[in-house]
Amino acid sequence: MTRWLPLMLALGLLLGGLTIAVRTAPPGGDMADFLPRSDRAEARFLLAELQRGAATTLLLAGIEGAAPAELARLSRVVGDALRDSGRFAFVANGTQDVSEAEREQVFAYRYLLSPLTEPAIFTAPALRPKLEALLDGLGSSAAPLVRQFGFADPTGAFIAFARGLIGSSGVTLREGVWFAGGESAPRALLLARSRANGLDPEGQQAAADTIRAAFAAATPGAARLLLSGPGVFAAEAARAIREDVEMISVASALLVAALLLWRTRSPTMLALVGVPLAAGTLAGYLAVLLLFGAVHGAAFGFGMTMLGVAVDYPILLLTQRLGDEALGATARRIWPTLRLSALAAIIGMVAMLGAGFSGLQQLGVFAAAGLLASVIVTRYALPRLAQPFAIAARPLPVGFADMLRRLPRARGAALALLAVAALGLLAAGGPTLERDIAALSPVPEAPRRLDTELRAALGAPDVGTFVVLRGADAEAALQASERAARALAPLLADGRLGSLDHPARYLPSAATQRARQAMLPEDAALRQALEAARAGLPFRAAAFDPFLDGVARSRALPPLTPAALAPGSALAARIAPLLAADEGGWHALLLPAGLTDLAALRRALGGEDGALVIELRAELSSLLGSASLRAALAAGLGAALVLALLAAGLSSLRAGLHAALPIAGALLLTVASLTLLGERLNLFHLAACLLLAGIAIDYALFLRGLDAAAPGPAAAQTLAAVLTCMLTTLLTFGLLAFCTTPVLRSIGLTVALGVLFAFLLAAILAPRRTRTT
Amino acid sequence: MRRRALILLAALPLPAHAAGVEDVMRGLAAVRESRAAFSETRSIPELESVLPSRGTLSWRAPDQVEKHTTEPVEERLTVAADTLTLDRRGARQVLNLDAAPEIRAMVEAIRGTLAGDLARLASFYDVRFSEPADGSWRLALFPRSARLAAAVQAIVITGRAAQITGVETQERGGITRMTIEARP
Repeated sequence: MTRWLPLMLALGLLLGGLTIAVRTAPPGGDMADFLPRSDRAEARFLLAELQRGAATTLLLAGIEGAAPAELARLSRVVGDALRDSGRFAFVANGTQDVSEAEREQVFAYRYLLSPLTEPAIFTAPALRPKLEALLDGLGSSAAPLVRQFGFADPTGAFIAFARGLIGSSGVTLREGVWFAGGESAPRALLLARSRANGLDPEGQQAAADTIRAAFAAATPGAARLLLSGPGVFAAEAARAIREDVEMISVASALLVAALLLWRTRSPTMLALVGVPLAAGTLAGYLAVLLLFGAVHGAAFGFGMTMLGVAVDYPILLLTQRLGDEALGATARRIWPTLRLSALAAIIGMVAMLGAGFSGLQQLGVFAAAGLLASVIVTRYALPRLAQPFAIAARPLPVGFADMLRRLPRARGAALALLAVAALGLLAAGGPTLERDIAALSPVPEAPRRLDTELRAALGAPDVGTFVVLRGADAEAALQASERAARALAPLLADGRLGSLDHPARYLPSAATQRARQAMLPEDAALRQALEAARAGLPFRAAAFDPFLDGVARSRALPPLTPAALAPGSALAARIAPLLAADEGGWHALLLPAGLTDLAALRRALGGEDGALVIELRAELSSLLGSASLRAALAAGLGAALVLALLAAGLSSLRAGLHAALPIAGALLLTVASLTLLGERLNLFHLAACLLLAGIAIDYALFLRGLDAAAPGPAAAQTLAAVLTCMLTTLLTFGLLAFCTTPVLRSIGLTVALGVLFAFLLAAILAPRRTRTT
Repeated sequence: MRRRALILLAALPLPAHAAGVEDVMRGLAAVRESRAAFSETRSIPELESVLPSRGTLSWRAPDQVEKHTTEPVEERLTVAADTLTLDRRGARQVLNLDAAPEIRAMVEAIRGTLAGDLARLASFYDVRFSEPADGSWRLALFPRSARLAAAVQAIVITGRAAQITGVETQERGGITRMTIEARP
């Protein structure tokens, strides 16, 4: 029983240490670490918006699957529950768009807010036709509506402003709440903005959960709730990855365990393989914690995957023992090869530090530190721990072993295949690269489609081009947006621009409001103009007192500022996406629609200092392109380093190239196969290629020691050991290829294809060729 | 004074009373289609004179009402289901009744009565029914919600058998009186 003690103690200590590390500094979840960085101001703004802009706090909900009346009831109940929860800055479902208090506030400010305000509208010649129109309206069926504002505002300034505020969208009002327009099955719509900001995934999750709970509490029956928005996306992505990973880890652990049991017939083997793996994980976790201050959840997850290489080390050690050889002796014997292969893999991982993402850098550090710890543990600790157990790999079935031994004869065919793959790739113009950033999103396709649908229905489609204007404070940003709107007026007039949305449309700058106040006539002058205008019309003398009062009061009002707007008001909600504070002050967004002449827009804004014109798709695409380029350069550098190391380790450039040939060949065949399968290569494929290179190095170095012409028991054992390594990797990553999450699928497919090629090429090309007769 | 006394008398909770309103509603519900001429005067406190108009009203069950004004300005107001359309001086305005609760309530007062739908009327208004001794009936509608009460204070609909003869609307200190005469 005592022989178990050291092993169990070591495993217990490592797992305990890992548990403590993960408990005290749990992995974080800021996806920003996995976004590329850029020096372009446009790209920097875009990335900051993606992380914490107003858009990140938006939640879109649809309710469907019942009769409209029932859907409306559910929308009302859910809407009220959300408003009462206090978690949301703004909830809109059509029931209370504009509150009574807000209507009064906007009405009181009508002459400061309305674009109609000009000295001319208060003169008798301008008022006369307005009064005649009012009289006509009073005689019509619309009289109840006309009377509501007609006497307090005969100029129509309020109605003009209110029309602009409502804007246009695809929603229709049915049963008192918003429904999606169009002919499809009825779907009630609800829009909410959570108080938690976009950088707070737990807060976003809680907001989404609040909506789900409110819906469940409303006894929905057969009706369904559809929920979307960046917060939901983040949660959805995390859930999809977690589910995939759980399924995969259970399935692959079972398969790998079965394989190892079959090869060694020893359950202890599993515990022994676990020791370097646990040591590597702990070392990687601590290294990242030390260097970056925190561990990203995704780096942890992917890093664990990368440490799949570390499983090979104990297998290579334990299954290459010759007869009664002491395990320490086996370790010493294979150490030069094992050391070189681990160092080469580590250098490949270190290359990831050159990628411009903190996330990928963390991944590189995690994997490099983990591999280092694993290989050291395998060399120095594992032989002692494993010595008491007589573990030996069973020989491979005879026919199969013969077949493997005959592989080097396929040398010519393999070289020809590599040439064909290289030529094919060249002819195809290289591998297809992913240009659409959406494809990198870990969110599955279905929720992304739902989001597009809900956005279109709510009249909040994704914008193509927009302009960012900066200011020291909100007032400066509003003034900048007014200047820019004036500069763009000619484009609006001649149709090169369909419409322009900007914050000052809803809330003019204080300067503009003051200028409008200065245009308002004195009481006596207005009274006189009104007297002249109503001459001969049947209005009573006091009929327009509310108008006179309103103008007089407007002249004394302090300008309405963003800070003075009630949170949750329709005006605040309108402005929130267009005007916001950031680290450098404030910025205003101008959203042009129906733009046909981008160059003219840039020219018109030439006078506006620091105006950024951002073309969303082009910017994201170039961002992605430059990030891919950096990552590719890093990978290239890594490859050069690996080659140099191999040449130095094998003390000859020729031998280095010979060892590198199966590795490069495996990468070439993998990329060619992915292209053939119609995969667009993205950053995750690239990361997977680095892992693959690390694994392929193992195979090539261990198999190059074989003599193709003189197969012996040692050679058969090495071949079997490497085959076992390849099968464990294939089982783990082959399963990943069946995931729904694009990221995991990319990695799984790449590595699974790659290890198969790497093994076959290493077995065919690596062995020494000695001439025998 | 005499009229007032009659209303008071009619308001007494007599069993025949409920039967009265239900009879009238049943009678109205049986009319699937009708046309009538109307004349209307609107007086509002801001104006020195009243605003007269005249034209025709038509009803088609279950939910279509048209008010076609011929004088002094041609105008056509149609309500079908939840959509109100106003054509006047070559311009058309379309309003979804859900977007304007006050207008919805005013429409339903007339439409609910024409349809003989007491439940619908009662969902917007406190309904008081009376039958003065002259063989006519009278529905006084008082808004249930404060928001509606700010716009409309009362709507009184009078009729005889299955025929509406008058609508009096009190809104914001003004009063609109419409008298209706059936057309063959």
